[in-house]
Amino acid sequence: MKRFLISLFHLLSFPALVVGAVGVLFGAAASFGAETDEQIKAHSEVLDLAGAFQNDGFKLRDGTWYAQVSQGHSQTLQVNLYSGNAYWFSVADVGGATGLTVSVFDDHGNPVEVQTYQKDNKAAAGFSPDASGLYYVEVSSSAQAATTFCLIYSYK
Amino acid sequence: MSPPWKWLLPSIIAILAVEPSGAQQTGGVGSATPAVSPLTETERSAAVAIDSLTVPTPGEFFKAIDKTGKPNWVSQFRPPTPIGGVNRAQMALNLGTLIADGYIAVEAQDGQQVKNIGRDVLALAKKLSVSDSVLARGKSITQFAEDGSWDQLNEELEATQNEVKKALEENRDTDLITLVSIGGWIRGTQVVTGLLVESYNSETAKLLRQPALLGYLRAKLDQLPNKIRQDKLVVKVNGDLKDIASMVSFPADHVPSADEVKSLNQASAKLTKEISAGE
Repeated sequence: MKRFLISLFHLLSFPALVVGAVGVLFGAAASFGAETDEQIKAHSEVLDLAGAFQNDGFKLRDGTWYAQVSQGHSQTLQVNLYSGNAYWFSVADVGGATGLTVSVFDDHGNPVEVQTYQKDNKAAAGFSPDASGLYYVEVSSSAQAATTFCLIYSYK
Repeated sequence: MSPPWKWLLPSIIAILAVEPSGAQQTGGVGSATPAVSPLTETERSAAVAIDSLTVPTPGEFFKAIDKTGKPNWVSQFRPPTPIGGVNRAQMALNLGTLIADGYIAVEAQDGQQVKNIGRDVLALAKKLSVSDSVLARGKSITQFAEDGSWDQLNEELEATQNEVKKALEENRDTDLITLVSIGGWIRGTQVVTGLLVESYNSETAKLLRQPALLGYLRAKLDQLPNKIRQDKLVVKVNGDLKDIASMVSFPADHVPSADEVKSLNQASAKLTKEISAGE
């Protein structure tokens, strides 16, 4: 619990730090300054979900990614992962049941098999890569209206 | 190789415990055979890269190493590094290497070493005018080190690194952020290859594959303002990283040999030394 509260403090006190985007799709954004109300709420929601993974020994990365997503306008993030580690990529938005999904792709863009979780405004994908290197994490939504989501990831 | 879901199964149990009605909702927890279409080249090139998530921490790297055996982390300690610094670029690079040293000390579970490195990190942060914001982190690091709270220390080190980067950004020193990340990656690579030189194993060697990460870091270097990019040390780092990039850019099914690992270790050790000396 103590560890979770510390992580919560870190995450709430550190707005997403974006030092470079190779490319930004429609609606993609990440805050340099203070988080918006929507971002704070999405962040709080996703921490609820990630807490379950922390209870299982997963460590939470001290970074967040905010962006907007709607049906047909997914968002994709580059991550560099290590074989042998296990990862959970968790997202939440501020809406109700907005049909968020998380998918993972290898460096050639091919989808990889993931363990999925989806409930209401939260979703997650669990993955244990066979090869170290670049992967893509895609967040999609089945909702027509654009919604702000927050993505965090944990590993062990 | 372990079954792919071995590490994830306990999490599924954990998430169902936290969200007891999850399985009855839209999908719940399930194993997904990919039903999505592959990403196009355009989609891949448009994917966002964020320093705080795209660049793995040394702790994340080291966690993967832990699974392949019992590394002798203490063997990778180095003598205290000078924290004087000839200019801000060198100090930022050096700060990255020091934070990586902190992760090594945590892996070795050496509380005194963690405290010593924490002090050096703070001293260097002060020279970069970001000490106020990381002062509280320094105190936490000391407390966690005294308590032997190694998991919390891992998180605290990452938070400290991000706090430094945030402060650099607030001080309009955004350009130095890339250098902190690069310093950490170089020192982390030196340590991992050092462990492999001591005791080679193919599973650990496979972890060295990081072509895209090097591409990302080098692209960030190329975007630096002329003044920093033409700094003597930054020029050297950029040149050496080009060679190192070729060493970690191997196909997914290739396992680096002991000789290849040794070459990478020599290259990263040389660069770490140059950063430390500011030459």
